[in-house]
Amino acid sequence: MTSTDIESSTPLPRPVGLLRRLASDSTVLIAGGILVTIVAASLLAPFIAPYDPYETGYAPFIPPAFMEGGTSEFLLGTDQQGRDLLSRLLYGTQATLLTGLLGVFFGGGAGVVLGILAAYFKKFDPPIMRFVDVLLSFPAILFGLAIAAVIGPGIVPIIIALSIATVPDVARVTRSTAVVVMSQEYMEAGRAIGLSDRHLIIRYLGLNCIGSVFVFLTLRFGQVILIGAALSFLGLGARPPMAELGMMAAQGRDALFFAPHISTIPSLAIFMIVLCANMLGDALRDALDPRMRNM
Amino acid sequence: MLAAAAISASLAAAPAIAQSITVVREVDSDRYDPHRSTARAASEVLFMLGDTLVSLDYDMKTIKPSLADSWTVSPDGLTYTFNLRKDVKFCDGKPMKAEDVAFSLKRWINPETKSPVRWRAGKVEDVIAKDDYTVEYKLTAPYSELLYQLTQSFAVVIDKDTLAKLGADFGVKGFNGTGPFCWVEWTPRNEMKIKRHDAYTWGPPIYENRGPAQVQEIVWKIVPEENTRLAALMTGQSQVTQYIPYSGFRTIRSNPNTKLIESKEAFWTYFMGFKIDKSEVNDETLRRAMVMAVDQGAIAKNLYFGEVQPAYSYISQQALDWNPKVEADLIKTNLAEANKLLDEAGFKKGPDGFRQRNGKKIEPTFYGFTGSTWQKLAEAVQGDLRKVGIDLKLQLFDATVVWGKLATQEFDMFGMSYPYISAGDALNLYFRSANVPTPNRMNWKDAKTDQLLDRGMAATTDDVRAAAYGEVLEQVHKAAVWIPLYHEPMKIGYSAKLAPIKAHNIYGCGLYKGLDIKFASK
Amino acid sequence: MGQQIAYRLLLSVPVLLGVLVFGFLLLKLAPGDPAMVVAGPSATPDVVEQIRKEMGLDQPTLVQFWRYISRVAQGDLGRSMINNTSVAEELALAMVATAELMIACLAWAVPAGIAMGTIAAVFQRGLIDRVVMAFSVAGVSMPVFFIGLLLMQYLGYKWQLLPFLGRGGPLWTLEGLRHITLPAMTLGFIFVGPVARMTRASVLDVLKADFIRTARAKGLREKTVIIRHALRNALIPVVTLVGLQAGYLLGGAVVTESIYSWPGVGRLAVGAILASDMPLAQGAILSLAIAFLVINLIVDLLYGLLDPRVQHR
Repeated sequence: MTSTDIESSTPLPRPVGLLRRLASDSTVLIAGGILVTIVAASLLAPFIAPYDPYETGYAPFIPPAFMEGGTSEFLLGTDQQGRDLLSRLLYGTQATLLTGLLGVFFGGGAGVVLGILAAYFKKFDPPIMRFVDVLLSFPAILFGLAIAAVIGPGIVPIIIALSIATVPDVARVTRSTAVVVMSQEYMEAGRAIGLSDRHLIIRYLGLNCIGSVFVFLTLRFGQVILIGAALSFLGLGARPPMAELGMMAAQGRDALFFAPHISTIPSLAIFMIVLCANMLGDALRDALDPRMRNM
Repeated sequence: MLAAAAISASLAAAPAIAQSITVVREVDSDRYDPHRSTARAASEVLFMLGDTLVSLDYDMKTIKPSLADSWTVSPDGLTYTFNLRKDVKFCDGKPMKAEDVAFSLKRWINPETKSPVRWRAGKVEDVIAKDDYTVEYKLTAPYSELLYQLTQSFAVVIDKDTLAKLGADFGVKGFNGTGPFCWVEWTPRNEMKIKRHDAYTWGPPIYENRGPAQVQEIVWKIVPEENTRLAALMTGQSQVTQYIPYSGFRTIRSNPNTKLIESKEAFWTYFMGFKIDKSEVNDETLRRAMVMAVDQGAIAKNLYFGEVQPAYSYISQQALDWNPKVEADLIKTNLAEANKLLDEAGFKKGPDGFRQRNGKKIEPTFYGFTGSTWQKLAEAVQGDLRKVGIDLKLQLFDATVVWGKLATQEFDMFGMSYPYISAGDALNLYFRSANVPTPNRMNWKDAKTDQLLDRGMAATTDDVRAAAYGEVLEQVHKAAVWIPLYHEPMKIGYSAKLAPIKAHNIYGCGLYKGLDIKFASK
Repeated sequence: MGQQIAYRLLLSVPVLLGVLVFGFLLLKLAPGDPAMVVAGPSATPDVVEQIRKEMGLDQPTLVQFWRYISRVAQGDLGRSMINNTSVAEELALAMVATAELMIACLAWAVPAGIAMGTIAAVFQRGLIDRVVMAFSVAGVSMPVFFIGLLLMQYLGYKWQLLPFLGRGGPLWTLEGLRHITLPAMTLGFIFVGPVARMTRASVLDVLKADFIRTARAKGLREKTVIIRHALRNALIPVVTLVGLQAGYLLGGAVVTESIYSWPGVGRLAVGAILASDMPLAQGAILSLAIAFLVINLIVDLLYGLLDPRVQHR
């Protein structure tokens, strides 16, 4: 959603000041704290999960411990196949985060390369930017549908779809940053003393662009997770019995009316992750561009 | 949002469209052409859109009149003569004549129609309209199953003019039959709308009301999520459905707004089959022990909340031509005995706890469907087999891929479920050697079986037929070629606003002709 | 302006070609044997073979591709592999349902968002502002299916206020309205936030502008200033937001349709993909792609018309 300010990204201010400003913001501390906890918990899943997330055969439909009929044996209850929901939640969060991260990573990487090429080699600029325009004409969900249609449902098509959806915006951000860098005197100087294109691109352009792309991707991460979860929910993503939040919510939907916890808990987890990511992203943007504070 | 909620609250009081019934179900059919559609979803609607020459009673054994008032069979069993009712009309008002019947049946048999269920019609010489109201069905070999097969939706009579007019769109854009309901509109994967055939008075005698139907309209709505279907029934958005999750029966029984009809008979059986010539499972003792290891009672209780019948026989014991002599041969769950059998046969356990055969671990490969049913079922069997030291490897495939996979020789075991009317219906489908590799996926090639099946098919008396099929039943049960899992009884949930309905078992279509569906009078 | 439109039109040519090539890929690479699917459970091998021939699946790749291209050129999207219905006709019906849903969603979400955004701007940094902004962040962070499932569970099932099973008829009928309420509420929920946020930002922007200062100086009442002057000018970016976010809305619509069994394009596309009904999947994706090209074109036009200052590129 926070895509209206793509073109306006500015070069990074000094990092120390930025961090100090961020750290003084209570939303950042809270959202960041929650997000770090979630990530840590999901990474530690193999160690802290009380049960095997794939082990069926416990009593199905046990509600969470804090609800009537719950038991402390299964803190978040069990799902319709009698699997421990807490364990599945931990592993599922891992899968969901990883899917999003990989999408952002591959899409971001490809976008940076395209953006830099467009800015550095003038003759590549038109075709690359036209290509980016083409990609921009389609919503992410359409890529998801299309790719799942070609290679069949699974985690891989989702990662590809998320990557493709990330490419065009990143390419534009990179290009606009790179164009500014290109006009700097040191680039001229570098060329004059005969530095190779490769050297210039990697040392100067690349490093300068990574910063703003990183900020942009932080703003974007929440949305990427949401799209991935939606595709999984539709059945186009992770295949059972794998634990993944979107798919868990979809499976829980079968028992929605008498065991709502099965779909509500993973949905809530996605909500928390995205909410924290969005709040961090907003705070980061405000910190970078105080003019936009009022917005 | 609050405003919207307030508006909706006032709207909620609006009554449902009077006399319209919504039936929710899980899947749609590919089309509604009686001769080309084999899905239960198609039959459900086709039974209502059209009629067959003869009908089947609730007991699944007695043939009753329908379009044919009466019929005679020649002593050699080769010629069936049907005397038609004279008052039957198609939905468009055209009277139905013998030539329509002959046309429909011949289209079913015609190779150009590519009916996947052509074999069900028997070895036909010709179907002739002797006069306007007499049809002669001539066979080249006697076929004792014929009348039963003619009750199925594949034998529904259609109007040839409509077929000619619609071409490939027949059963997609329109239909013209003689049934208690008429085609209105079909939006695939969404809903099928049919309305009452007002002139209908020729319903099968198994119904108290022989026509016209007692509701104006039936809407068959596709709702893939099982609990949404349950909720639709509970909230009155659907009045009747047989597609209820097992976990939901208790809710329906206890809720004052809903009722459940349960048919005692169960003519839909879930089983796992062995490919009996594969090296993993070609030993009869091994198979016997595996069948013995599986705890059908626990499966029915744990996975299905006790709502299904544990199966030890390959067909329901209530089915026509079931052989009571086989009861003694049925393999009942007995873990200790299963282990003993395996020990005695020399299948020693290896260091990993799994049994070995000729120094190799016994690990048969199972092919089945993805989806909650088979996933759970296969895992339960896997768990049971583990207890006797056999490591079942599960490979589940999506519905689009699985039929292709099941036609190969790659697997040792497979999972399947099927509807049937009688022993002959089931046995002729699965145990004929001509049906290898599919649907005879067991590779059961036995000259004696084929001979007996032929004899059963050609039988002109009930005794001969029952004896022949009975012997095949004995043969296959003794050879332990299947692990029967459970028989699924027909259970239909319906709104308390409706008058009680009776559940039929024909091809798993519980509502059959729908003539008894009506709102209870206040 | 003209140049911009011409550029967009030119751009759509390679895009269309790309989509067609993609359709072909779909045909070739999708898993499963469609002939087996059509033949069904109890078919014998020769029946399957017959069906495969009938469907042209035994032809060389290029021939199949050419057939597809020429059919599409004639406006024929083929017949559904599983249902045998005309894809174009099925899509036409589904498009109507999706359009209905989108309109119903915008009909409440846009006014609600504008109202919330304006109030937030007027009481900038006040409690209301904070609540609106928090709501807006929560709205964009919420998975659509979560909202859908919650509404369905409470409004639909527990309190039995509204139906949640598909479409009830045309929008002007009572049943039609009752049935669309829950899906439209669900989809709108994710859209109120962005609209409120955008309205708030642009109202704040406009409030600082000279002509507002003039209006205030003239002694107009604050309410008049805001409604007559500020809001009107602030609406321009909101209008374009609606267009720009069509893709985001569509994503939500696909999920919403699937939750409420709403017979729209999204549900159709997902169903077709899961059933590997390739002609239908191709048709759905092709028409969605074209719909997006058109929407982008319209948005560009609108943007130029509403705000002459805007110079793209």
